Amino acid sequence: MALLEVSNLHVEFTTYGGIVHAVRGASFEVERGETLAIVGESGCGKSVSVQSIMGLIPMPPGRITAGTATLDGHDILKSRFIDKKDIRGNLVGMIFQDPMTSLNPTMTIGAQIAEPLRVHRGLSRGEAMKRAIELLDQTRIPEAAKRAKQYPFEFSGGMLQRAMIAMAISCEPVVLIADEPTTALDVTIQAQILDLIAELQREKGMALILITHDLGVVARMANHVVVMYAGEVLESGTSDEIFYRSGHPYTLGLTEAMPTNRREVEQKLMPIPGSPPDLFSPPVGCGYAARCPHAMEVCVSDRPEAFGLSDSHGSRCWLHHEDCSTRVPGVHYA
Amino acid sequence: MSEFSFKPIAHDADVEEKSRPSLSYWKDAWLRLKANKRAFASLFVVLGMLAFAFVGPFVWRVDHSVQRLDFTSKPPWADRNAVIAQPYVAWDGVVAPEPTGDNLAPETLEVVGEATTNSVRLKWDAVRNAEGYRVYRHVLRPLTGEPLGLPLGGTKSRTAVSFEDRLDIKPTTYWYSVVALDDQGTEFPEATTITVDVTLTTTVLTAIEQGWIDEADAGDLVPGSRFQLPWHPLGTDYLGRDLLARLMKGAQVSLFIGIVAPFLFVIAGVVYGSISGFLGRSVDHILMRFADFVIALPFLLFMILFKLLFGIGPGESGILPMLVALVLLSWPGAARLVRGEILQIREEGYVEASRLLGTKTPRLILRHMIPNTMGVVLVTFTFAVPSTIFTEAFLSFIGMGVTAPTPSWGAMCNDGIKTMETTPHELIFPALFISITVLAFNLLGDGLRDALDARMRYGE
Amino acid sequence: MTKYILWRLVQGVVTVWFIATATFFVMHNIPGDPLADDKAVSEEIRENLERKMGLDKPVLQQYVIYMGNMLRGDFGLSFQHENRRVNEIIRQHFPVSAILGILAIVIAGLGGVMWGALTALYRNRWPDIVIILLVILGISVPSFVFATVGQLALVTINKIAGIEVLPVAGWGTIAHMLVPALVLGLGTMAFLTRLMRTSMLEIVSADFIRTARAKGVPMAQIFSKHQLRNAVLPVVTVLGPSIAGITTGGFVVENVFGIPGLGRYFVLAVQQNDYGVIMGTTVFYGAFLVLMVILVDILYAVIDPRVRLE
Repeated sequence: MALLEVSNLHVEFTTYGGIVHAVRGASFEVERGETLAIVGESGCGKSVSVQSIMGLIPMPPGRITAGTATLDGHDILKSRFIDKKDIRGNLVGMIFQDPMTSLNPTMTIGAQIAEPLRVHRGLSRGEAMKRAIELLDQTRIPEAAKRAKQYPFEFSGGMLQRAMIAMAISCEPVVLIADEPTTALDVTIQAQILDLIAELQREKGMALILITHDLGVVARMANHVVVMYAGEVLESGTSDEIFYRSGHPYTLGLTEAMPTNRREVEQKLMPIPGSPPDLFSPPVGCGYAARCPHAMEVCVSDRPEAFGLSDSHGSRCWLHHEDCSTRVPGVHYA
Repeated sequence: MSEFSFKPIAHDADVEEKSRPSLSYWKDAWLRLKANKRAFASLFVVLGMLAFAFVGPFVWRVDHSVQRLDFTSKPPWADRNAVIAQPYVAWDGVVAPEPTGDNLAPETLEVVGEATTNSVRLKWDAVRNAEGYRVYRHVLRPLTGEPLGLPLGGTKSRTAVSFEDRLDIKPTTYWYSVVALDDQGTEFPEATTITVDVTLTTTVLTAIEQGWIDEADAGDLVPGSRFQLPWHPLGTDYLGRDLLARLMKGAQVSLFIGIVAPFLFVIAGVVYGSISGFLGRSVDHILMRFADFVIALPFLLFMILFKLLFGIGPGESGILPMLVALVLLSWPGAARLVRGEILQIREEGYVEASRLLGTKTPRLILRHMIPNTMGVVLVTFTFAVPSTIFTEAFLSFIGMGVTAPTPSWGAMCNDGIKTMETTPHELIFPALFISITVLAFNLLGDGLRDALDARMRYGE
Repeated sequence: MTKYILWRLVQGVVTVWFIATATFFVMHNIPGDPLADDKAVSEEIRENLERKMGLDKPVLQQYVIYMGNMLRGDFGLSFQHENRRVNEIIRQHFPVSAILGILAIVIAGLGGVMWGALTALYRNRWPDIVIILLVILGISVPSFVFATVGQLALVTINKIAGIEVLPVAGWGTIAHMLVPALVLGLGTMAFLTRLMRTSMLEIVSADFIRTARAKGVPMAQIFSKHQLRNAVLPVVTVLGPSIAGITTGGFVVENVFGIPGLGRYFVLAVQQNDYGVIMGTTVFYGAFLVLMVILVDILYAVIDPRVRLE
C-alpha cells in the first residue's frame, strides 16, 4: 500500500446555480521520496481533490460523496487525526498558490512558522521561535532572526513563499503538498522555489504532491504524473510515459500546446480549441469528447474505462478498446 | 461486433463553445437584484412610500392643517358617535333608601341616561354611616390608594346619591370616583370608580360649519339623532389634526429632503471627485485636503449653525435651508469615493488599451469612467438616503429642522413624545414610518451593492 | 511611529484651525446683530463683549482677536448669562457628556464585536437570525425613539417593582448612567455588529485562514488568533465617525433623561440664541472630535502592523 492513496474520489459543491460536480472519480497515489504531479487546466478539480481530502474545502457547500483516502493505512476521510493529532501541518504540510494572501497579515512571520510547532510538538514560545528561525535559515532567507520578527507585508512574494515552505516543513511532514507553488511568482523566482522544494524533499525524504498547470514544472520535478480534466483523471503514468508515450489525445494536446526549445519539434504551438465542459451538468461520456479531434460516437455516449498500457500507465480513452480499429498517430498503444 | 460504436464524429470548432448568453452590466445587476428577495421587496416598500407621500394626498383628501381642538390626541379606535343636542331637561336627582350593607364604598355606581358632553348623570348606592359623598373625575385611571386630587363636587346627605356633571365635558373617556364622607367631612378609605365614555353633542349648525355633515343631509337630523364624526384612520395629534394626512405631508417633506439632498450632494461629489481624479497631481492634492477639512467639521453642529445662518423667517418651512446645508456639508464622502474609483480606473488595462487605440478623452470619460463609477455612486446614494432621513428627523426632533407647522416625520415624533404616555400613537406612527423607510433603503442599498459589485459577478 | 503621530497631530491642528475659522465666519454672517436681539442682552454684557471680542471693530480684526483667544484656550463668553465664560460652562458640563459618551462607546464597541463575532460563528442558525433582526431594528429606529422607549421602560419597571429600580432621569450615580448610555450606544452597536459580521464572514474564506487550517491549528485558536484580530480592523476604522455620532446623539439622550451634559446645554443655547456659547461649543466639539479621530488612528496603527511600520 502506498503512503498516500486516493481512490475514486467524488466531490460536489452545492451553489446557487446548482450542484457542481467538481471531482468525478479521481484516483492517485504517492510513495515516500517520490514526486507526483497533478496536471490540468484551471477548474479541472486538481486543487479541490487535494484540499478536500485535507478537509480544507468549506463543508457545506462542498461535500465528498464517494471515494477513499488513506495515509499510511489510516483512513483520513473518516478522521484526520492520527493519535489525536491533526495530520494537517504535522504529517502533511501544504504550500499554497498566492503567498501574499496566504499568510496572516497581522502576525509576524516567525510566529506563524512557530504556530504548528507549538500546536503539534508542544514547544514553548521561545523554543518554537528558535526553531522557526532555523527553518527560515534552511529555506535560504537571509538574516533569518531579523526576518522572523517582520510581518508579511515586509516580504517580497518569493520570500513569502519561502516562509510558507518553512511553515509547511516545520513539523517534518511525510507528505508535502504544493498547490501551484510558483504560479503567482516571477519567472526568475519560480526556478529558485522549485529547486528549494526539490532539495528539501530529497533531504527529508518526503513524498511531494505538486499541483500545477505548467508542464515544464512537471517535466522538471515529477516521477509520476496524473492528468486531470473536467474532474476526472484522464491519464496517469510515469513522467516518461506521459511525455513520450502518451496514450491520451488530451495529454498529447497539452504537450503540443507547450513551448519547447527543441529544433526537431515543429515550432508552431497548437492550442486546444474550445473550453472545458460545464460541471453543473457534466457530460455522460468522455469529458474531453467535445474538444477531442478523434472523438467517436462511443466517446459521447459512454464513459471510457481506464485502459492499462503498462503497469504504471493508464489511459481513459476509447481508442484503447480492443474493438476500436482507429489508430491515431502519436498516441501510444499498449 | 462490439456493443460500442467507434464511428468518428465530426464537429465544428465552434459548436461546443458552451458560453452562457452575455449580459450587459445593468441587466445583470437587475437580475441579481431581482434574485435578492429582501432587496427586491425593499424596492417595493420604497416605491410604496413614495406613492404614500405623493399619491396618497389625492386619495385621502383631508386637510393636514385643520385643527379640531375638541378632538385632540385621539387614538385610531376613538369613538366617532355624535348626538345632536336635545333641549336640556333639569334632573331632580335620586334619593336612595337607607343602606343595609356594611361596605365602605358605594356598592354600585352607574350612569343615568346617556353620557354626553352636555351632562353626565351618576347615581350610586348609599353607604351606611355616610353623611355625604364626594365625586371625582379623572382622565386617567386613578391609582388605588393614591389621593384622588381635587373633587368635582358632592352631596351632603346619606340618601342623596346622585350627581350631575356639567363642567366642561370633553368627548373622551373619564374615570368617575365616588367616596363616602363621615359627619366630619372625612373621606372613607375606599372609593368606587367607573369608566364613562362621553359622546359628543353638538348642534346641526356647528356640525355643518365644522364640515362633519353635508348641508344636504342636515335636514334629516333632529335633536337626538346620531351621526358619525369624520374618520381618522390613524387618530389625531395634539391639535386634533388628522394624523394620516399629516403623515402624508410629513412623508413629502422627509422624503423630499431625504432623496433630493443626497441626489444633489452625490452629484456635487461626483463632479468634484472626477475633477480631482482627472487633473491629479497638485490640484488633486489641494482639492482632497479641502474635502478632508469639510469632513472634519462636526456635522450636526454645523447643520445647526447653517440653520441660524440662513435665518428662517416667519411662514417659511425651513426645507430649503436644510437642503443647502446638507449639500454643503455632505459632498466630500462621495467625492473621495469617486476620485478613488477614477484613479483606479485610469490605471486599468482596458482604459490604457482604449487610449492607445486613439480614443479621445471625452469618449474615454463617457465610455469607461462614468459607466464604471455609476455602480458605486448609485450604492452611495442609496445609503445616503436613510442617513439623511435620520439627520432630518434628528434635527427636527430637537427643534432645529423644519419649522412648525410644516410637518416632517421627525417633527411629528417631537410632537408625539409629549403625549407618549397617554396617547402613544402620536409617536409610534411617525417613528414607524421613519423606521420602515430607513430599513427599506438600507436593505435596498445592501442588495444594490451586492448586485453592482463587479467582483461578485462571476463568483459564487 | 512617533513621526506618524506627530504628523497626525500637525494635521489635526490645521483641521481645528479650519473648523474655528469656518465657525467664525458662519456665525459672523448670521443675519441681524446678535446683540440687538429683542431678547435684550443686558447693557453690561454688551459692553463686556464689545471690549473683549471687539464686536465694534472690522471683521478681520475681530477674527484675529477671536483666533488669539482660541489659541489661549479661551472659548469666549455667554451672550445670555452675565460673566459666564464658555470655558466654565464646558468645564462644568463636558465631563458629564464625556462619561456618558465613553460608557456608550465602550458598550457599543464591545457589544458590536461580541455580537458580530457570535453571528458569524452561528451563521444562518437561530442566534444569528435573532441578532440580525435586532440589528436591523437598531439601525432603522431613530435614537430619540430608543431614548423615549428606554425611559418609558424604566418608568414601567419602577412602577411594577414598586420601588425605584433605576432612576428615570437625572445624574450623579452609576445607576443614572446605565440606561442612557445603553440607549446612546444602541444604534452604533447595531452598526458595528453588522460591520463585524461582514468582516468575520469575509475573513472566514480568506486564504490565510485556510493556511492556518492546513497547519492543523485548532478551531478555537484560529478563531481567536487569526480571525478575530483581522476582523476587528474595519471596526476600529469606523470608531472615529462612531464617536462623532455618539457625541451628537448625546444631545437627545441628555435632553430626554434630563442629564446636565454639554449637549443639552448646546441645544438650550441654540434655543436661546446664545451665540457666544454656540460658537465656543462648536469649536470645542470640533477640536474634541479631531482629537478622537487622531486617537483612533493611533489605536489602529497599534493593531495593524501595516500602518504602524510605514
